[in-house]
Amino acid sequence: MYNKQRERVFMLMILPAFIGFIVLFIAPTAMSFFYSLTNWSVYNPDIKFVGLDNYKMLFEDVKTVSAIKTTLQYAILITIFQNIIAILLAVYLNKKMVAVNFVKSLVFLPAVLSILVVGFLFQYIMTSADYGLLNNIIQFFGGDPVNWLGDSKIAIYSVLVTQVWQWAGWSMVIYIANLKSIDTALYEAAEIDGAGKIRTFFSVTLPLLYPAVSFNLLMSLIGGMKVFDVIFSMTKGGPGYATETIMTTLIREGFNSGRNAYASALAVVFFIAVFILSRIVITFLNKWERKLS
Amino acid sequence: MSKKGLLGKISYIVGLVFISFVMFLPIYYLVITTFKSPEEAAASPLGLPASLDFSNYMKALDAMNYLQAMKNNIIITSVSVILLVFFASMAAYVIARSTKKIYHIMFAIFLIGLIIPFQIAIVPLYQIISGMNLMNTHLGVILVSVFCINLPLTIFLLRGFIHTVPIELEEAAYMDGCGTFRCFWLIIFPLLKPIIATVVILNTLAIWNDFLTPLLFLQSPDKAVLLQEVYKNVGPFSTNWTSFFPMLVMSTLPLVVFYIIMQKRVIEGVVAGSVKG
Repeated sequence: MYNKQRERVFMLMILPAFIGFIVLFIAPTAMSFFYSLTNWSVYNPDIKFVGLDNYKMLFEDVKTVSAIKTTLQYAILITIFQNIIAILLAVYLNKKMVAVNFVKSLVFLPAVLSILVVGFLFQYIMTSADYGLLNNIIQFFGGDPVNWLGDSKIAIYSVLVTQVWQWAGWSMVIYIANLKSIDTALYEAAEIDGAGKIRTFFSVTLPLLYPAVSFNLLMSLIGGMKVFDVIFSMTKGGPGYATETIMTTLIREGFNSGRNAYASALAVVFFIAVFILSRIVITFLNKWERKLS
Repeated sequence: MSKKGLLGKISYIVGLVFISFVMFLPIYYLVITTFKSPEEAAASPLGLPASLDFSNYMKALDAMNYLQAMKNNIIITSVSVILLVFFASMAAYVIARSTKKIYHIMFAIFLIGLIIPFQIAIVPLYQIISGMNLMNTHLGVILVSVFCINLPLTIFLLRGFIHTVPIELEEAAYMDGCGTFRCFWLIIFPLLKPIIATVVILNTLAIWNDFLTPLLFLQSPDKAVLLQEVYKNVGPFSTNWTSFFPMLVMSTLPLVVFYIIMQKRVIEGVVAGSVKG
């Protein structure tokens, strides 16, 4: 009897969160799947079932295919660079010194700024206009100015660099916390065995960083797939459509062009891409974990 | 000290200076430019400003409707964070303490939100929010921030922590005739302080800096948040960047101050949020 009353209260405690989640997440997600199979758009109020037409259209659209490719490339590259730099920083800065603590706080600082603001700032730094700071510095040292954001071959990498600058500190603090948990006796043992610094890193440090690596890889991968704000503020998808991503295309088609069904199909493709990529990374991580134990 | 040790120490410090330089230069450039005229900024982009001239800030305050936008940001972020803590802590408590199957199914459904990015839902979500007559209201943005975007991770983190709280405490309270609901808020909730701090920090950063949700759901200028005001002004000020930079500074200043004061907590929060995510 006592427990029955408790169970009833339990239900009341969880229901508000659960109902909110169903209405505002599960239902619209399911609707995206459904709408992707229809011809719904603002110009076409009677919704008809059209099978996989939207998907066919999507993969025949050069711009959209290019946006998907750019997004995948961006996500994979940012995962690699952000984590390599974060691990190097973590190993370098894992010391107890006042100066080091200050540098650590500084490296983390950009992570509290909004992505949009960082994007605008770097748009001015990288601009090819006369006042572009980066080109001024390059010219000061005798180099030739580079069209960082206007050259379709390098624009996406320019964007990528700003995001590595902004987020490396976030991954770094997670790696440092993990490093602190490693037993120092292991390093002593490695030293006695005559292992050099690099050898020690690959055979002691890196394997024991497994938990932080697995978390950070997935986070930067999924974050990279969602890239939107920084494109919006730095390149607006240009030059041409060289830096269009899945999210910028989805917002344009779904909200500016009113092609709701098309945008829904793209959303589903987005989900599948995120799902497959994270599966691949998880499989790779599991293999690595098995090799370690 | 041996010669090699000294050399190593010096090269280590050079490395530290290099890292600081790369991290700090863009921020330094941003801040000093706000005190310059366009001519001065073009002539010496990295030099210290001739005088501490706040007129750019005065212009920016006006152009971006600062106080109103700041108020909107504070309302959206604080109400969202309070609602998140309120709903998620109760839900997480039930999931952690009940052995009934139904709650495990609910938990599994919440976890879907950790795997599927919410962006997949935004087109239909727009319909749902307009259907509820919440378009262009702060409540609409708050509900989306809470239930669509940030709830799953918050529940996940809270549940993990509640598992480490000894159950004997509550059992003793139940014996004394304390009701479940009251018992949760009076006895359990105060014990969750460390994880609540984590959840508050992570969600504050995420919601304050979120641009997409307000962009989609708030249209009228009096409802706009700081980032929308920045975005609105980038066009008109594109040739006058010394007047635009103060907007970048002012829109991020609150969180930077928050970070400087609570630095240790913020970093601890980020680390705690990464535990088995």
